[in-house]
Formats: sequence, structure tokens, C-alpha cells
Amino acid sequence: MTRLVLGISAGLAGLLLSGAAFSADLPGKFPGVTIDVKLIGGQQYEKLYERIPEWEKATGAKVNILTKKNGFDIDKELKSDIASGSTNWCVGWNHSSFAPQYTGLYTDLSKLLPKEEIDAFVPSTIKAATVDGKLEMLPRAQFDVSALYYQKSLYENADNKAKFKAKYGYDLAPPDTWKQVTDQAEFFANPPNFYGTQFAGKEEAINGRFYEMVVAEGGEYLDKDGKPVFNSEAGIRALDWFVNLYKAKAVPAGTTNYLWDDLGQGFASGTVAINLDWPGWAGFFNDPKSSKVAGNVGVKVAPKGSSGKRTGWSGFHGFSVTGNCPNKEAAASLVWWLTNEESQKLEAAAGPLPTRTAVWDWDLKQAENDPYKNEVLAAFQEEAKHAFAVPQTPEWIEISNAVYPELQAAILGDKTSKQALDEAAAKATQILQDAGKL
Amino acid sequence: MDENASARLMRRALTGAHRVGLFLAMLVICLPGIWIVLSSLRPTVEIMAKPPVWIPQQLSFDAYIAMFSGIGKGGIPVLDYFRNSLIISVTSTVIAVAIGMAGGYAFARYRFRGKSGMFLGLMLTRTVPGIALSLPLFFLYVRLGIIDTHIGMILAYVALNVPFTIWLIDGFFRQVPKDLAEAAQIDGCTRWQAFWQVEFPLARPGIASAAIFAFLTCWNEFALASQLTRSVNSKTLPVGLLDYTAEFTIDWRGMCALTVVMIIPALTLTYIVQKHLVGGLTSGAVKG
Amino acid sequence: MRLLKSHPRLRPGWLSRFFHRVPMKGFKPSAPFLLLLPAIVVLAAVVVVPLILSLYSSLTPFRLTRPETFFVFVGFRNYLSILSNADFWWAFGRTVLLLTIALNLEMLLGLGLAMLVEKATRGQRVLRTLMMFPMMFSPILVGFQFKFMFNDNIGLVNNALQSLGITQDAIPWLIEGHLAFIAIGIAEIWSSTSIFAILILAGLLAMPKEPIEAARVDGCTPWQTFRYVIWPFVMPFAYIAMTIRSLDVARAYDIVKIMTDGGPAGRTELLWTLVGRTAYSDARMGLANAMAYFSILLSIAFTIYFYNKLAAARAQIGAEW
Repeated sequence: MTRLVLGISAGLAGLLLSGAAFSADLPGKFPGVTIDVKLIGGQQYEKLYERIPEWEKATGAKVNILTKKNGFDIDKELKSDIASGSTNWCVGWNHSSFAPQYTGLYTDLSKLLPKEEIDAFVPSTIKAATVDGKLEMLPRAQFDVSALYYQKSLYENADNKAKFKAKYGYDLAPPDTWKQVTDQAEFFANPPNFYGTQFAGKEEAINGRFYEMVVAEGGEYLDKDGKPVFNSEAGIRALDWFVNLYKAKAVPAGTTNYLWDDLGQGFASGTVAINLDWPGWAGFFNDPKSSKVAGNVGVKVAPKGSSGKRTGWSGFHGFSVTGNCPNKEAAASLVWWLTNEESQKLEAAAGPLPTRTAVWDWDLKQAENDPYKNEVLAAFQEEAKHAFAVPQTPEWIEISNAVYPELQAAILGDKTSKQALDEAAAKATQILQDAGKL
Repeated sequence: MDENASARLMRRALTGAHRVGLFLAMLVICLPGIWIVLSSLRPTVEIMAKPPVWIPQQLSFDAYIAMFSGIGKGGIPVLDYFRNSLIISVTSTVIAVAIGMAGGYAFARYRFRGKSGMFLGLMLTRTVPGIALSLPLFFLYVRLGIIDTHIGMILAYVALNVPFTIWLIDGFFRQVPKDLAEAAQIDGCTRWQAFWQVEFPLARPGIASAAIFAFLTCWNEFALASQLTRSVNSKTLPVGLLDYTAEFTIDWRGMCALTVVMIIPALTLTYIVQKHLVGGLTSGAVKG
Repeated sequence: MRLLKSHPRLRPGWLSRFFHRVPMKGFKPSAPFLLLLPAIVVLAAVVVVPLILSLYSSLTPFRLTRPETFFVFVGFRNYLSILSNADFWWAFGRTVLLLTIALNLEMLLGLGLAMLVEKATRGQRVLRTLMMFPMMFSPILVGFQFKFMFNDNIGLVNNALQSLGITQDAIPWLIEGHLAFIAIGIAEIWSSTSIFAILILAGLLAMPKEPIEAARVDGCTPWQTFRYVIWPFVMPFAYIAMTIRSLDVARAYDIVKIMTDGGPAGRTELLWTLVGRTAYSDARMGLANAMAYFSILLSIAFTIYFYNKLAAARAQIGAEW
């Protein structure tokens, strides 16, 4: 009971104070305040944390890093914290795909930060970061959406061009529809030495790829009422795309066991023609020390499905403030600091994609003299316009875990697409019913 | 004479077969490991190549240099992880072996009621899957404030290893004839002296193997460590391995390099301890 | 149940009898009790309390992300739903199969390895250290290593087979059910045979040399010496190693998790991957704990089986129990 009262009064205090917050006030002064934080660890993510001492200096507050570990382990830890009620730390890592699971944990940032600061972010990203009307997190410059990487030389080869035209009746060019991807993948494939394309085959990875394909085919994963409807005509068409490529041996036979690391290594080994992949690999693919296709990589916006919509499953990392944090304004100031223009420039300089409009422009300008980087950024900026997040349900991951074995069964030929999807939809419905959602 | 010659031939053939067998076995054991060591020295383009590059073309210590560089240049706080791993593994091994010696001695040398049940009870604590333990342990540690501390990790690892060290050491104490210790006691030793001067040296192989086993278990344990550690205060090397993975990418060469860094102390310690594997009744001092 | 009955000491009441004699004798605890006290204290602190908590939570619909569900008591509903869950029982069966095959192979290979090393006249120390080489690799890394090695496209194994002209195809090692099982088995055996080898080697080294001499003088063939002199002596250690391995499954979990995570299409799903996914990824801790307690039955059966074998083996060499 006391905790409840405390929580409410803290919330009220936050409300009152937020009225007075203007961007000019940021980062503000918080002498003597200590902020406990839980951050994601790993090379790619830690460079940003060099900015924390500067914030401490500017505000007089202290940051105490409680946790710094791998994303999946942080997810475990946050869930364990929620379960054990130990949530009185302040700032936490968050991810758009995980955020709906933590709704009770984090507070609404739009009440703690001035509107013009929030408007400086890419609007679709802010929309995806808002769950049930609450702005759950501010996105950092770790935006992920996939674009198409391909081996340029294959498309410049005159022999390939002539043969392709003769067989399929249109000119060979980097694909703009998923149908073209299928044609070209089958055309280029020469197993076991060379494959047309590949796809992630397990866990949330395959479910995410399937989800974006359903959208591109004009279907829905969950309908307006949150009911699973991916076993529609569009859903079957989407799954058939994977099934047919596998049957035609245009993808490596092991693809249903691939995760992101296998995919990246596969394309870098020069044995795959076309690869839908994340921005994090752009540098790796074009570095002669890590990739055989360095200097031969083209990047293009993701293709369209039969509905004319492009695939664009996206996600991003961000920071949130807990509802039980005793110093919400200081915490929000830190979150703002780690996602402000300076911070985003620092992160984006190493390759990841920003989430602030102004930093996108800056990023493109920086890449002016680097044709490859320019091509990458242009493709991803275009792709970011088509990006969409996963359905906002706390059960997303659980549904993924129930659905992906069915998708695999269809791809491997154990079941037909329709059978597999019907069973998957039944399982997903069951999960949502168990959770009291339907 | 013919018989002698053929016997010698036979013996030589056996020795040869033994050498070949030993060599092949060692090859199979070492190859995947050597591959990892090589991977840490080669650029990724050679490791994941098709057609394969069997003979390394370029070797460099780039991954190691990067590991010790600052954050953002490919570095990870490897020294902190190393210190944590060493403190936690060594301390918990020493404690687990000490407790194991006490417990093993009790089982091997005393008759008491409920012995079998007690014994099985100890073992059954290890039948509980880690997953059923890790969350309640997390609850408990958070409440006690020993989450993300060396003490917490040591406690967990001691509990992890104690049933096994007891069982192993018990097995070896049993092989020591009872009369030896009794004879020593008749000669005027106390039970305590008899233990250290007669039984302990004889059970040394068991204690050494238990120590090696316990140490390597702690050194490589991941599941509990990932739940009970949080930051450089207590993160151990196996958890640190995942610093080389991001959501969509993985630095395989860096992981291999960190593994090599992990193996060196393990190899050294094992090498030091393994000489105690020889002992028992072969050492002449006690013979007869 | 029959297993239990076969052991008179396992009848109910042994525990109270054990503790009873302690305070009765005028606060003079018995020596074995004192010697065992540290072990009991540590295990009680770290294992028993969490055990009670998780046993309780297996009777609730506990979801990590909704702590209030911890207090909803549903009795045995989780257990009942598992009983009718075919996926679970498939995973259960696969786990038993994998454990049986892998453990037996590991024991045979470990025994062979230990004897090879024991016979070596030179370089014993180096050989003994090398023998333990695989134990030094973190299971996570072993998982990644074997996943990359068995990759159908750029993996070492297929590359080697294709270079040697043995096959022209990309063998889908981690996809085809049996092959995936073999691949996981190889990774597991590679990483754990050393444990058998070291424990059996320690037993061999502790063995008195006189009986072997005597057997040789009596004109036994090497096989007879092994079968009737060495093996009976080493057998208890082999069983100890067997039990330790069958309980210490966490090692295999990390490997399987990274190599296939039970896939594709559930073809390699094992108890550990299923429970792990249900517990954290799905956040359904109550259900996962119920599964975990079912799997304990398996471990208990294994332990008691080996324990009885061990007792029999000891009786054979006349050791006192």
C-alpha cells in the first residue's frame, strides 16, 4: 500500500515538474543524485557509454552501471526483476520487439521530456516506441531494418544477362519484387557451390521474415482485435515463397538452421548471390579482411510483395525510465543525453543507423566521398520509410516460438503451407487466449 | 630362439600400434581446439571460405590487440573478466575440494545410519535442472544483496561441485586399505595425523581429479553466471564471450581469441595439478 | 519404485534417524555428521530454498512478466497439461536416447583413451594435459564451433568431404533429423569424453600394481588381465563418472542451444531446450518448472540405477560398503 501511494505521488511529482521542462533546460542540474542503469553490453553498443561521464559532469549527478550484458540476458534479467519486484533502479535498455512485454515496468517518457525534442526523432520510430499511448523509450542510433545486398558482378556479366532474358523474358537487374528474387535466385543457384539467396530459418528470425512477407503480400499477422490471421491467402503466398525456394534448392540446405551469424558469414564467403540483411553487416561485407565479396557489393531497398508493399520488419534499441525510479527527471535527462544529436552522431559514425531526422542528413553528408557508404545509406534511408515494427503484443516472442517450428515444417516439406499455418494460428490463438487477450 | 624373436616382434608391433592409436586419439582431441586457435589468428575471410583455405595464408595478432584496446576499438574489459574468473573459480574449487574431502572421508570411513539415503540425497540435489534453480536463486540473491558479487558466485559454484567432489573423493578413500590408517594409529598417530600422513597421500589422485573437474566446471560455467552476474564486478569470461555478439552480428575471430586467453590459465593449472594424479599405492614410501 | 525398494536404506525415515542420533547423545554430534555438516549447509542454502520456491511455482500459472500470477494456485494443472503434450514426450524420449548413446560411447572412448595414456612411457604429463584439452573450452564456444563446422555451405566438414571427393552434395548436417542428432552427439562426445578419461585414468593410476604382476606371472593374456583384474577395479570409477555426467547436463544444454536450439521443426528438441525456451523466452516459468520436475524423475532414475551398479561393482571387488 505504501508503495502504491509512493508510486502515485512520484508520478504526480513527475507530471508537475514536466510542465516546466523545456529543451533549453536539458540536460539540467541534478547534484547529488545517483542514477542506477542497466545497459546492453557488447562492442557495437558500448562506444556510446563514453558519453556518460560528460553527462555526469554537466549535471552533477552520478551514474551507477548495475548491469552491462548481452541483449537476451538483459531480457532475462528484466523479466526476473519484474518477477521479483526489484525494479527500483532507473534507466534500462529496451528494444522495440521486447518493449510490449515490459509495459508495467517503464514510465511514459513523453510526460518527462519536451515535445520538440521528441518531434526531432523520425516519426514512424516514435510511433513504434509508443505502446498503449505511452512513449516507452527513446530510440538510440541503433535502428535496424533490412535491405537487399547483392553481388554486383553477377548483374554485369553479359552471358548472365542474355541467358536470363532468354529464360524469363525480362532484363536481369537487381530485383525490385520478391517474385524477381525467386527467378534470379533459381537462375544463379548452382548447389552445392553457389546459391541464389538464403533466409534466417529459426526462432524470432524466421517468424519476423515471414511476418514482413505477409505484410508485403497484403495480409495481416494479427487483425485489429489482435486475433492471429496469418493463415490467410496472403499468408500462404508468403510462406510459399520460402517453401518454393527451398524446394528448388536455390537456398542452402541448412538454411532452416541459420541465424544472423550464419547468414552474414555465408554472404561474405561469396557463395550467395542475393541476401536480405541488416545494416550492421554493411561494413563487414565490404572489408577485404572479412569478406570475399568486398568491392563487389551492391545495396538496394527491399523488394515489393505482390500487394506492392515492400517488406520492412524493423526494430531499434532505446532507453527507458522505470516507473519506480525515484529521480525520473534526472533519469529522463540521461536518456535524452544518450539519444541526442551528439550521441547519435557518435554511434552513426561507426555504421549503425540513426533515428533522428537531423542526424540522417548529417550522416549522408559525411558519406559524400565514400560511394559504397553512400549507396548503403541511400538504400537504408529509402528502406526506413517502409519500415514497420512487429505487432505490439506482449506475447509476440511467445507466439514466435510457437509459430516457427510450423514454418520450418512447411519449408522442409513435412507439412503443406496451409496445414502448417492453420496449426500455427491455432497455437498462437491459444497463447493469446491463455493470456486473456481474446 | 624363434619364439623369442616372434615375441619381440609381437611386442614391437604392439608398441607401434599403441603409438599410432595414441597419436590418432590426440589428433582428434586437439584438432577442433587447434582450429579455434588458428581461427583467432586468421582474418575471417579465410576462416569461412569456400573453397576452403586449408593452409593459413596470413596470420596476425590483430584480434588480441583489439581485445585489449579501448571500448569502441573492438576492446572488452578482459582483465576484469579474467580477475573475476580466477578469483571465483580458484576459491570455489578450494572450498569444494575441502568440503569434498571431509564428506568423502565420512562416507568412506564411518558407518552410520541413513548413509545410503544421505549419499543419494546429496547427489539428488544435482538432479535439479539449472533452469529450476536459477530464478529462485536470483530472487534470493537480490534479497540478500549478493547478486553480482564474488561471494554469491563462489557460493553457487561450491554447491554445484560439492556433490561431485564428495563422490569422487569417497571413491578414492575406499581404495585405501583401512589397515594402513589403523596401523598408523597403533603406532601412536592420532586419527588426524593418520589421515594427513597416510590416507591423504594415497587418495591424492582422487583429490587431484576432483580439483581439476571442479575448477574446469567453474571456469566454463555459463548458465548460472549469466543470471547471477551483471557487470564487471563479477562477470566471468564465459559470459564475456558474448560481448563479441551483437543482435545481428558476431565477431567469431574475437571470440576465438578470447577463448585462447581463457584456455591458457586452464591449461597451466591443469598441468600443475595433474602430476598429483599419480600417487596411491605406487609411491614406494607406503608400499609393504 | 522397484528401484527404490531394492535399497533397504532408502525406506522412509532414514533422514530422521540420521539426525536423531545427534542431539540424543548429550550434544555430542557424531564424527560423520560433523564432517558432512559443511556440505549440508552449503547445499541447503543454495539448493533447498530455491528448490522449494520453484516446486511451489510449478503449481501456479507463474509468468515472469506478470508477478501477480505467482500467487494463483492451480494445483497440478501444469503437470496435467504436460502429460497430454506430445512435443514434451518426444523431447523426453530423445533426451533419454541421446543420454544413453552419448554416455556409453563416452565411457568406452574415455576408457580407451585413459588406457592409451596410462600405457605411454614418455610425455605422460603433456599427454594427460592434452587429454583434458576439450574440457577447457566453454560449451558456448563449442556450440558455435561445431555449428560452423557442420554448416552445410561453408562448413569445414562439408568442405573436407567435397575436397576429398567423397561427396558432391552439400550435406545438410544440422537439418536432417538423424544427421543433426549425430552432429550434436559428436560435439557432445568431443567435449565430454575427457571427463570420463580423466576420472578413469585417476582410478587406473591409483590401482595397486601387484595384481597385474601376479596375473602376468600366472600367464594371463592382456585381455584376460584387463577383463578380470583391471576392469573390476576401474568399474566403480566408471560408474561414478557416468553418474556425474548424467547429472551434469548443463554442458550439453549450451551446445545444443547454439547448434540447433531444438530445430528445425522440433527434430532435435531435447528437454533442456524446451524447458529453457518455455521458462525465459516465453516467460512461462510455472509451466517450465513443472517440465523441469518431470525431467528430474529421469535424473533420479539414472542416478539410482548407477548407484546400484556401483554398489554391486564394489561388492564384486570385496570393498566394504
